[in-house]
Amino acid sequence: MKRSLHRVALTLAGLLALSGVWLTWLATDAGTRYHDDPRNTRSQQASFLPGAGRILTADGVVVATDGAGGGRTYPQGVLYAHLVGYAASSERRGIEESRYAALRVRDDGSITDWLLGLGGDGGRESHDVVLTVIDPMQQAARRAMEATTGAVVVIDVTTGAVLAYVSSPSYDPNRVVAGTLDPGDVADAVLDRAADRVLPPGSTFKVIVAAAALEAGASPLTRFADAEEYGAPGSGSPIANAGGGFCGDGDSLTLTEALVVSCNAVFARMAVDLGGAAVSAAARRAGFNTAIPWETGAAISSITAAAALEADAGALAQTGIGERDLRVTPLLMAMIAAAVGNDGVAMRPYVVDAIVTSSGDAVRRTEPSPLARMFDTSVAADLRTMMEAVVASGTGTAARVDGLIVAGKTGTAEGSGGPHAWFIGVAGVDRPEIAVAVVVESGGAGGRVAAPIAAEVLRAWRDREN
Amino acid sequence: MTERTEALLVVLSAVIAAAGTAVVTATTRGTVTFDALAAFAVHLAAFGGLLVAFRRWAPAASRLLLPLVSLITAVGSIEVFRIDHDLGRLQRWWLLLAGAIGIATMRLLRRRGLEILRRYRYLFLVAATALLTMPLLPTSLPLGGATINGSRLWVRLSLGERSLSFQPGEAAKVLIVVFLASYLADRRRVLAEMPRSLGPLRLPEPRQLLPVLLAFAVASLVLAYQRDLGASLLLFVVFVVLLYVATERATYLVAGGVLAVGGALTAATTFSHVAVRVDAWLHPFENFAGGGYQVAQGIFALAEAGLVGTGLGNGSPWLIPAASTDYVFIAIVEETGLAGGLAVLAAYALLVTIGFGIALRAADVFRSLLAAGLTIVLAVQTLLIVGGVLRMLPLTGITLPFASYGGSSLLANVVIVVLLARVSHEERT
Repeated sequence: MKRSLHRVALTLAGLLALSGVWLTWLATDAGTRYHDDPRNTRSQQASFLPGAGRILTADGVVVATDGAGGGRTYPQGVLYAHLVGYAASSERRGIEESRYAALRVRDDGSITDWLLGLGGDGGRESHDVVLTVIDPMQQAARRAMEATTGAVVVIDVTTGAVLAYVSSPSYDPNRVVAGTLDPGDVADAVLDRAADRVLPPGSTFKVIVAAAALEAGASPLTRFADAEEYGAPGSGSPIANAGGGFCGDGDSLTLTEALVVSCNAVFARMAVDLGGAAVSAAARRAGFNTAIPWETGAAISSITAAAALEADAGALAQTGIGERDLRVTPLLMAMIAAAVGNDGVAMRPYVVDAIVTSSGDAVRRTEPSPLARMFDTSVAADLRTMMEAVVASGTGTAARVDGLIVAGKTGTAEGSGGPHAWFIGVAGVDRPEIAVAVVVESGGAGGRVAAPIAAEVLRAWRDREN
Repeated sequence: MTERTEALLVVLSAVIAAAGTAVVTATTRGTVTFDALAAFAVHLAAFGGLLVAFRRWAPAASRLLLPLVSLITAVGSIEVFRIDHDLGRLQRWWLLLAGAIGIATMRLLRRRGLEILRRYRYLFLVAATALLTMPLLPTSLPLGGATINGSRLWVRLSLGERSLSFQPGEAAKVLIVVFLASYLADRRRVLAEMPRSLGPLRLPEPRQLLPVLLAFAVASLVLAYQRDLGASLLLFVVFVVLLYVATERATYLVAGGVLAVGGALTAATTFSHVAVRVDAWLHPFENFAGGGYQVAQGIFALAEAGLVGTGLGNGSPWLIPAASTDYVFIAIVEETGLAGGLAVLAAYALLVTIGFGIALRAADVFRSLLAAGLTIVLAVQTLLIVGGVLRMLPLTGITLPFASYGGSSLLANVVIVVLLARVSHEERT
């Protein structure tokens, strides 16, 4: 029995030793990854030394800093309100909330603080937060959205870095800090329409239906019967094409042609032929019904359960053209466009590029990481070609920009106060580099209202980068 | 170690308990309260009393045991008091009671020693079974079952207006080890016969595997009816490992391993309360607002730790649900850092080593198995909960021996130490 006793004793003591090694690793790892996590209330509730760091754009424009009087001040006013938010004495919002701890020095009464204080250099210094947003692009997007209600999100296709993030109407965070504006009174302006508001995607959803068709074996050249309208089996009123009439010559048209003219009859029928399971699966793969990790939190975009769609052909047909119970955030639509331009892979969206010391040395830097494969590589390539045709000769011609190849899709979704105008697209000089999503609530037709806004943002990017 | 050193170390651990309590009250309230004095007095009364009892009725016992257990208890009691002052004060009463029961047990064994345990082994088995099933009594009885935190492993004794809850399973685990040690001491030769073979694996007569299946069935029932993953795993692992120690046949480990893995997979897919734990273990942050909250808070606490922690009273361990029971180890790490956490783990490793040392030098097979079994209980329980909070395993919700809040657990573990001391004493007389 001695032998087995020795073995068991060694194993159990060894496992305890292993726990120690594991503990060391886990605590070190947690310290680097979760210390300033927005959900970590420890960091939020701790006491901090007075003074906070600055929030800067990628090109060095100061967006938030400490004012002369001690409180926070926002030199850009309304421009970054929804992204950066505010840190008022009563409440906090945006990056000022999520990075509250990272911008400040913890007062943990530690010996380290005391020793550093003895040196007479005032102890530790607070860090700055550097965003991925580029100021001229943010300004262009804000200008283009002037006097509208809606949102613009621009994403770097290969990294997931957010380059512009605008929600309109906006508000001045300086007034919130000063106490002259109660955010509760202007809920409409404070609402982050880029990530916290969901709307039906309208015809931009045809990209997802087309992806489902391509995955099921169709090609951009597969022909579908033309029709003036489509009535799903067992449903009430049929779905007509926008503007009435046939989409093409009245006989048949290719998948590309159907997308170029955004043919309702073809896509409604396609959704029903593919079946609720296939459409729902394609949508879920593209981020519907999934929590999107986002700096300041994002609403979940949703699609009706597959079983319910299978049971109701009428609902499925309407889902095929982006209506009915479909709801989506502009943030997710931008990610979908970005995935089309990135061989089908959506990168994890991020807006904080780095935490740096006041002299600019990076303390921590965000590494781009893939979030999900939304489309197969070949499907993404086909979608891109088809969406280039949409901008070249279809409903999206208003999004054309000299010097850039633009691929996109328009959408005009039913809304109680008039149709919501959508445009999603991906553009670059010779390969896709940035993705954009635009929504103008109750704005009118996507091709006429949203596409020009996208074009303006893309031009700002072209002028800056090239 | 001399008697003097042993006494000195016990007093020192009482001083540590008092000093820690004083630091906690000083940092959180700005004053040193009466609690520090109470902590010192209670610690000294319980462990000093045990020390005197050991001297008197088991003078040849190992002198390493008591100071070590006293130290772990002191560290645990400081942290429990830090997390919740009321629980900390309650725990002092439990410590006094545990000391008294430990002394009583020692006195009970003074004449005929552990032989008495052997004689009444089936009585113990019946008692253990009764204790294990007690929580299933109707809740309406004056002495009835009670569900706390979703687990039906409590018994509530109603005394008029007041009631007292305890976990009979804690006492059952000691009785089961006593039974197993004496059963296996008699049967181990038969159980070790392996007439058949399958490849490199030697197999016993199929009916010899019956006890393994029986233990597995008991563990499964505990899991299914009392929803207690921790106790279920603990019982089964202790049984299988002790069977291996007694027979030196790896076959039992393999069979137990296969059953445990199969049982775990089945449980994870069948029982929702197990599935929730597995999901929280693998993806705590994906379901932050739901099942993953506790595990995620544990990780946030670790993020504060660093080398020396936030300092006693400066952390926020109460943010973790069940901080004073399941998560007391993480709470200790948050406030005393890797240094404190590793020291606590080293203390447990030392305790386990001492326990097996006693088992190796024991006078006969029964005593050896008894010491081994009791040590395995302490070791496996520590590993299950430490591994659970460190995300090496799914969290199983059992106490960290001597450190977590909990009267039943403290009582049972003090009795384990007393029995270990007695085995150690009898090896030389």
